[in-house]
Amino acid sequence: MWVPFLFLLIGVGLGLLTDFSIPELYSNYLSIAILAAMDTLFGGIRAHLEKKFNQQIFISGFFFNISLAVVLTFIGQQLGVDLYLAAIFAFGLRLFKNISIIRRYIFRLPNKK
Amino acid sequence: MKMKVKGKHAILSLVLLTFGFLIAFSYQHTKTLLFDDQINAEDWEKTFYYRQQLIQFEENNHKLQQEIDQVRLNLLQLENEMAEQLDYMSETVTEKLALQALTGELPIQGTGVFVSLRDHEFVPSKAKIDDYIVHDRHIQMVINELIVAGAEALAINGQRIFSDSHIVCIGPVISVDGNQYPAPFVIEAIGDSETLKESLELSNGIIDLLVNEQIEVEIGKKNQIKMNAKMS
Repeated sequence: MWVPFLFLLIGVGLGLLTDFSIPELYSNYLSIAILAAMDTLFGGIRAHLEKKFNQQIFISGFFFNISLAVVLTFIGQQLGVDLYLAAIFAFGLRLFKNISIIRRYIFRLPNKK
Repeated sequence: MKMKVKGKHAILSLVLLTFGFLIAFSYQHTKTLLFDDQINAEDWEKTFYYRQQLIQFEENNHKLQQEIDQVRLNLLQLENEMAEQLDYMSETVTEKLALQALTGELPIQGTGVFVSLRDHEFVPSKAKIDDYIVHDRHIQMVINELIVAGAEALAINGQRIFSDSHIVCIGPVISVDGNQYPAPFVIEAIGDSETLKESLELSNGIIDLLVNEQIEVEIGKKNQIKMNAKMS
């Protein structure tokens, strides 16, 4: 169980050690990608708690969401429309929803309905 | 089951690795951006300061340039004035040289006439010898006549005559400003030779007078008469 956390630490370390900087123009992509990744992670935890966890969905969702968010942002920037807001909105909404469900599971609160 | 768990863990590890990397990288990136902003602010302040200085320097330069222009203008005016003064001075110097030549401080030369006065060679024994020789007054008459006729410079036997010169008779010789000359006396005059000669040769003029007083007179034009400066 501790292996994934080890990898998490390795990832953080790598990120901190990486020395190249990207232009400010692309910082949007990064934040969107992080949002997408968080969304997928919490979605995975929620699925796990609901015992509906599926590896394929999880792994594909993780990378696909990130890619989609980045592509959306890219298109938005090309068109001059802030399309990344749509991504932030959607992901943020889902993030809160997922977290609320996880909370109910953790604190064993009764589900709605 | 164990494999499955392991596989699950592997995938979770991969996802967490990516996630961690992204988070850390983003964090670092944002930090650099903030740092950059700070640097930018400092840079901006510096740039502002230097720009201000530059503006001041340029203003100074402008002022100095204007000063230089002004000074150049003044210099030009001064040069012009000097050129004018030089012209004036050269004119004045030319005039002064001419005047000096006239007053005898410098040599003078030009066309003119000469008059040669000579004692009469034949003196009758009964006659008074005084009636047959050249006297100072003869020379003075000739000189006065020449001056009146417009002679610019005069000389007797090569000695210049000036306004303050004196000519006196000392026996058979005459003294011009203290220098003695025997006969014959050659009076030279620089001026318009035609006018001078005609004024001397007027009927009942000076020549006639001299001839009447038993003096041998010779008169002629000269193209080139040179006179030395006054010796002093």
